[in-house]
Amino acid sequence: MGLVSIQNLTVALPPGADRPKAVDDVSLEVGRNQIVCIVGESGSGKSLTAHAIMGLLPRGVTAAGGQILFDGVDLLKEPPGAMRKRRGRDIAMIFQDPMAALNPVVAIGRQVTEQIRAHRAISEAEALKQAGALLGEMGLKDIESLLKSYPHQLSGGQRQRVMIAMALSLSPQLLIADEPTTALDVTTQAQILKLIKRIQAEREMSVLFITHDFGVVADMADSVAVMRHGRVLESGTVAEVLGNPSHSYTRALIAAVPRGESQLPPPPDVRPLVQVNKLTKRFRRGGMFAPGKVNTAVDNVSLTLSRGETLGIVGESGSGKSTLARCIIRLLDPDAGEVLLDGADIAHMKPGELGPLRRRIQMVFQDPFSSLNPRQTIGDILTIGPRIYGEDPKEARARAADILRLVGLNPETMNRLPHEFSGGQRQRIGLARALMLKPDVLIADEPVSALDVTVQAQVLQLLDDVRQQMNLAMLFITHDMRVAAQVCHRVMVMRHGKIVETGPTRDIFARPSSDYTKALLAAIPGRQVR
Amino acid sequence: MSFARRFFSRPTAAVGFVVFLAIVIIALAAPLLFARGPFAIVGMPLLAPGSPGLPAGSDVLGRNMMIGLAYGARVSLLVGISATLVATGVGILFGAVAGYYGGVVDDLLMRVTEFFQIIPAFVLLMVLVAFLQPSLTSAVIGIALISWPQVARVVRGEFLTLRSREFVEAARTLGMRDTRIILTQILPNALPPIVVISSMMVGNAILAESALSFLGLGDPNLLSWGSMIGGARSAMWVAWWTTTLPGISIMITVLALNFMGDGLNDALNPRRGR
Repeated sequence: MGLVSIQNLTVALPPGADRPKAVDDVSLEVGRNQIVCIVGESGSGKSLTAHAIMGLLPRGVTAAGGQILFDGVDLLKEPPGAMRKRRGRDIAMIFQDPMAALNPVVAIGRQVTEQIRAHRAISEAEALKQAGALLGEMGLKDIESLLKSYPHQLSGGQRQRVMIAMALSLSPQLLIADEPTTALDVTTQAQILKLIKRIQAEREMSVLFITHDFGVVADMADSVAVMRHGRVLESGTVAEVLGNPSHSYTRALIAAVPRGESQLPPPPDVRPLVQVNKLTKRFRRGGMFAPGKVNTAVDNVSLTLSRGETLGIVGESGSGKSTLARCIIRLLDPDAGEVLLDGADIAHMKPGELGPLRRRIQMVFQDPFSSLNPRQTIGDILTIGPRIYGEDPKEARARAADILRLVGLNPETMNRLPHEFSGGQRQRIGLARALMLKPDVLIADEPVSALDVTVQAQVLQLLDDVRQQMNLAMLFITHDMRVAAQVCHRVMVMRHGKIVETGPTRDIFARPSSDYTKALLAAIPGRQVR
Repeated sequence: MSFARRFFSRPTAAVGFVVFLAIVIIALAAPLLFARGPFAIVGMPLLAPGSPGLPAGSDVLGRNMMIGLAYGARVSLLVGISATLVATGVGILFGAVAGYYGGVVDDLLMRVTEFFQIIPAFVLLMVLVAFLQPSLTSAVIGIALISWPQVARVVRGEFLTLRSREFVEAARTLGMRDTRIILTQILPNALPPIVVISSMMVGNAILAESALSFLGLGDPNLLSWGSMIGGARSAMWVAWWTTTLPGISIMITVLALNFMGDGLNDALNPRRGR
């Protein structure tokens, strides 16, 4: 028998929730010395299943039935005290956002030793020695100063390594990893995945890995369970499930994983609509008496963009890709360089001159939950733009109905408020808002990174359709090479505010010329899927 | 759940609302019920409550305490609400501009705000009212002047977080003007905390007005709860009701407003609640 055996687990949601059960009759085995992945989209119950094992269900959410056998003991029947002792010692967990999981005002060394000393009666010095050794095992360097650092001084990857070190400090038999790389850059993600795999093999422990990404599953798992709406749809070894998926939903999920190879032809060669020349944006930090620190977020960047083409700007966090987009659309004022729209430099125009030109460049934002004003109806959100330019409100409303249909929404939804829509639907509304002004240029800033894979595929398809229909010039900003490959004719790779390389998507994927691009491509999880 | 149901689900909020409503009705009806006004002398001084025609007794000059209490509610509510409206208006203006534009504008406006915060508020209020001549208007101006920084701080904080939301950026890319963004996009989303602190502020303004009147800095032509206490303090040991009843009136009104503030907080921030 395996280490963990979940049998017919049911987790009930409090009355008044959108559904009665978050987890419905789930059975799952995690064998010894094995990595098991639970894969599913948001709301599938994958995370609550993991939390149920830890005995950490949110308030009001209860395990209503079934068993969770850990080494033969039913964890659901364990008294709270015994369960508390198990956490950390037998079962440990790492989370999606290491910044939120670490205490921001306690030094790293103290945080790791606190965990050890809560379970073992050893001195602080002894614990510190163990902590240092653990951090070294995680591939971290310069341990002495690391132990004295605070979480905000570390990078995302370092923080996640510290979290893993803490989780492993008591040598648990089971490590639960809840989307541990979702908040990280691709290259960092690849390193952390490799680390978890190495540690698992060295320590011969079991890992339950929660993810939404079939690419990660392909790289990590020995066996996999696919969850949807609280149920396990299918499970088996990775080769079985990925190679021969029996359920149509699994097939759809695998198909929705972007492939990471471009099918789009190189762009037609026409006169550029937008021309950016040597754009530079610096940020100064510092207060009244502190000397300012200057950070060059965008450094001497030039690009061109034509009608009907999509240019992808790819980079990891801090590469300056979003700042570049915000300079082009003049949400930020660039320090130097020009942005020519049909030959007119909009980078340094005064607000009065810029006003009428604004409608020609529109933007779709990243976060579907903050990009719509929560207190305005969809109708108001869509018509407010045209009304600024003096369009008759009735006419604008009629047009809004057409555009809602174009983005695949029912025009009758116009009187509703944003919170009544799902993330994917909100992104469609955000796109509709941009299209209401009949723009020439559309800037999409990570438009799908907050969405589930199947929804992601639909929204990407919609963006591409709209670009073709309206002959838009599209600037597509993403951190995900796979997504860029799907919709972009050309790709520009950015790092530290500079262009690393730029060219037709096919060429970049087939023959990357810079080491950085090669590293980015190598870090894409699940290269062997398909 | 609807706004009203969330508000009334807290029993203290419901009690606060009913009590406040009753006080408002008494204040509005006072001239209709007691046409002779609060200064008319109706009998012997210092008659105990329950004497014929005097359910709340008479004061040191033989005036009907009940009429005084009803008219006092008018002054307290008028000053409390007007001062709060002025303070909220000024506070929103300062806070919104500082929070939206940030940078040097923010620095300047916040230094002005701090200037008012570091001066002992009540001393400033007394000096100001004495300087302007005691009247209803000067009390309102003075109290508003010591109260607005609190609103400005809260509004600024809300604007600082809201202005970087993507829907505000979207409004800018649509070409919306700053004033319109502030008024139609950000302010409606910043309203809940403003409403909550305003309701609490009415109570504080009533207390400040009472204190001013107690010190003889109220409007001499109006009878307020504070001036009733001030005028009767020499009789405190022989006629408890002359000071206690207006004192209780102040306490009940302020308590009702605070209960309502808590209720509004629950109703407007359903997720932050208990």
